[in-house]
Amino acid sequence: MEALILEISTRGLHRYEQINSEVTTIGRALDNDIILSDPTVAPHHLKIICCGESSLELVNLTEVNPTRVDKRQVDSLVTEKLPLNIELGRVQMQLLSRDQAVSATRPLPGKSRRSQLFGHAYWAVILVLTCLFIGGLEFFLNSYITFKWSEMFKYVLRENVLTIGGFVLALSILERLLVNRWEIKQLVTSVCLVYLLYYFMTIFASELGYLFSADWPQTVFRFGWHLLIIPAAVALYLIHISHLKHSRSIILAILIASPIALPSILQSPEVRAMLDDFSSAARYQNNLSSLNWHLKKTIAVEHFIEQAGKLEPGEFAD
Amino acid sequence: MLSRLIAVSVLLAGLVAPPVAAMDSKKIYQLNQDRVFQVRVLNRETGKKSSIGSGFIVGDGSQVATNYHVIGQVILEPELFYISFIGNDGQEGELKLLGLDVARDLALLGAEKPIGEAIKMSPLPPRGAPIYAMGNPLDLGLSIAVGTNGGILNQTDDSRILFSGSLNPGMSGGPTFNDQGEVIGINVATARNDISFIVPSRFLNELIEQSATGAFDTETNLKREVAQQVLAYETNYIEQLMQGDWPKLDLRQFKLPGIISPTVRCWDNSAKLSAIARYKRYQIRCANKNHVYLDEDNKFVGELIYEYFWLESKDLNPIQFYNLYENLNKDQIDSKIDRDIVSNFNCQTWFVEVASQELKSNLCRREYVEYKGMSDVLFTAALTGHRNKGFFITLIMTGVDYKSTLPLIKRFLEQTEWKP
Repeated sequence: MEALILEISTRGLHRYEQINSEVTTIGRALDNDIILSDPTVAPHHLKIICCGESSLELVNLTEVNPTRVDKRQVDSLVTEKLPLNIELGRVQMQLLSRDQAVSATRPLPGKSRRSQLFGHAYWAVILVLTCLFIGGLEFFLNSYITFKWSEMFKYVLRENVLTIGGFVLALSILERLLVNRWEIKQLVTSVCLVYLLYYFMTIFASELGYLFSADWPQTVFRFGWHLLIIPAAVALYLIHISHLKHSRSIILAILIASPIALPSILQSPEVRAMLDDFSSAARYQNNLSSLNWHLKKTIAVEHFIEQAGKLEPGEFAD
Repeated sequence: MLSRLIAVSVLLAGLVAPPVAAMDSKKIYQLNQDRVFQVRVLNRETGKKSSIGSGFIVGDGSQVATNYHVIGQVILEPELFYISFIGNDGQEGELKLLGLDVARDLALLGAEKPIGEAIKMSPLPPRGAPIYAMGNPLDLGLSIAVGTNGGILNQTDDSRILFSGSLNPGMSGGPTFNDQGEVIGINVATARNDISFIVPSRFLNELIEQSATGAFDTETNLKREVAQQVLAYETNYIEQLMQGDWPKLDLRQFKLPGIISPTVRCWDNSAKLSAIARYKRYQIRCANKNHVYLDEDNKFVGELIYEYFWLESKDLNPIQFYNLYENLNKDQIDSKIDRDIVSNFNCQTWFVEVASQELKSNLCRREYVEYKGMSDVLFTAALTGHRNKGFFITLIMTGVDYKSTLPLIKRFLEQTEWKP
């Protein structure tokens, strides 16, 4: 059998060992051909014997955490099939043939047109400055007393710098744990983009609510944002920036987004209304818009009173 | 000559005949101590007092007058509670309900047999005259409080007399005497600091007459009876409001309905703004005083509140202005009522043309669980389409027949004028 390759995976990083000799031993002891330092691996754990032209034999050498091949415990196995998934304790590895096909080369962020935004530091800087500008603008638009620059800086520091910085820090720690890499530049760009999207979508949903004189645009936004957009943004980041597999990225995105989404979803008026079907407060359309775009026609008092006569009381709680 | 003699003798007789002597509190107390009782609501299981008040003998000698709120718990849970009385002399017994006037907070109770001599009733003495309130304050025993008559309060729809004396919990339902020892009213409430309120005795007379006709059916669903009485009172009240002329008040560019009834008082409610605020806001809040006690859970209904709010700014841009305007447009009915008592609110939105201006209007309605037909209504309308001017009107009515409120809302909007 021609030379084999052993791929040893640890937290998203892979190490490759060539198996050229007829007998190769793997274990924690230093007299092995391939040494694994994991404490769940036995001093002498597995022996690989290249028997013939096309077959090989795997021999388990330990009673503690015995070797598992393709999820099954084995004592001795002669096989021709490759690749083989092997588990020694908690170390996962794959036995591959040399001519095993590899996936297409992923371009570096910034090299492909699609990911240009994520590849250059100046984009990160521009987006951070935009976020800070938006934060300042938000403060300005909500300041009804004399404008003070010092107050604005405090607000931007509290609401924007700390929020964006906090997310970048938390996500970069996660990224480091997941794929052993720091992609700070791309992470800052992504967090800023999500922040800006949130800001503009909030305004859009509010204006849409006024346009339709309805609550559904804000409800759709609230749920869509937490249940769809945030996990999708995380998943896209993991696929395109961290280069994780699609399925793994989606699962991780859901796990990462859940702590952010769940409290917000549980606090939303819709979920609170579902969990507790009674409210002593009147939920009415109090939003107002300087644009004053609305689809409902303006009616005369007479007509309004006629329609108001048909208003039923709300439902009784269970 | 004879006629002159007669005239002189009549005149002399008038001078010589002793005037009706004014009694003091000691004498009034002594005269009535066996005719004023403690009225108690007792738990059928434990036999212990759940609430207490006072009452006194009226009508045929077997009837006891008190406040509706003293025995309200029996209306809510008749299977759990019953009413009894205990006198200063130890006389006690069970009482049954003979009649209610929920709007004036009166109840007429009946004993199985006559329990004493009914106290004579009399109209209200002149303003400033001394009056005497008897009752059992804080379960401490029968006592009498001295004060003066402050007159009938028109802000309470004539259903209250101002008593400048001290009423305390437990005295509710007790009699208030003039200086002849006649009942001029029934103790009902206090605002502390020697400001107390009495129900005029004429409403009690009406209740006694009404109960004599057998109009009140004790077998009826008492909550339904309470609801009907409250609704009848509130509907009549709204009709009265509709019949009167409504003076106008000015709020910047609006002319608005002002004090629409003697029951209503309006106050400037404008918040004090910081000197560096870049906007101005003015607020007027009008509210009635003739609320109706409903029960222990709901406390009072019959509120009529209307509030006008004006906001303007030369310095804020439209986005800033509307952010502020929207944040202020959040009026609610100020009550934290439980799910067992009312339904959820159902709200609907319209854009309504009022005085050539467009108002974004919301109307919300909820209904009472136990009191069928009774609703709370919240109406808000906010001015739209102006760059730096905002205005909203809020109208709140509680414990009303929903349909009866619509003409009132209509008139409010029709009486609103815009001054360009």
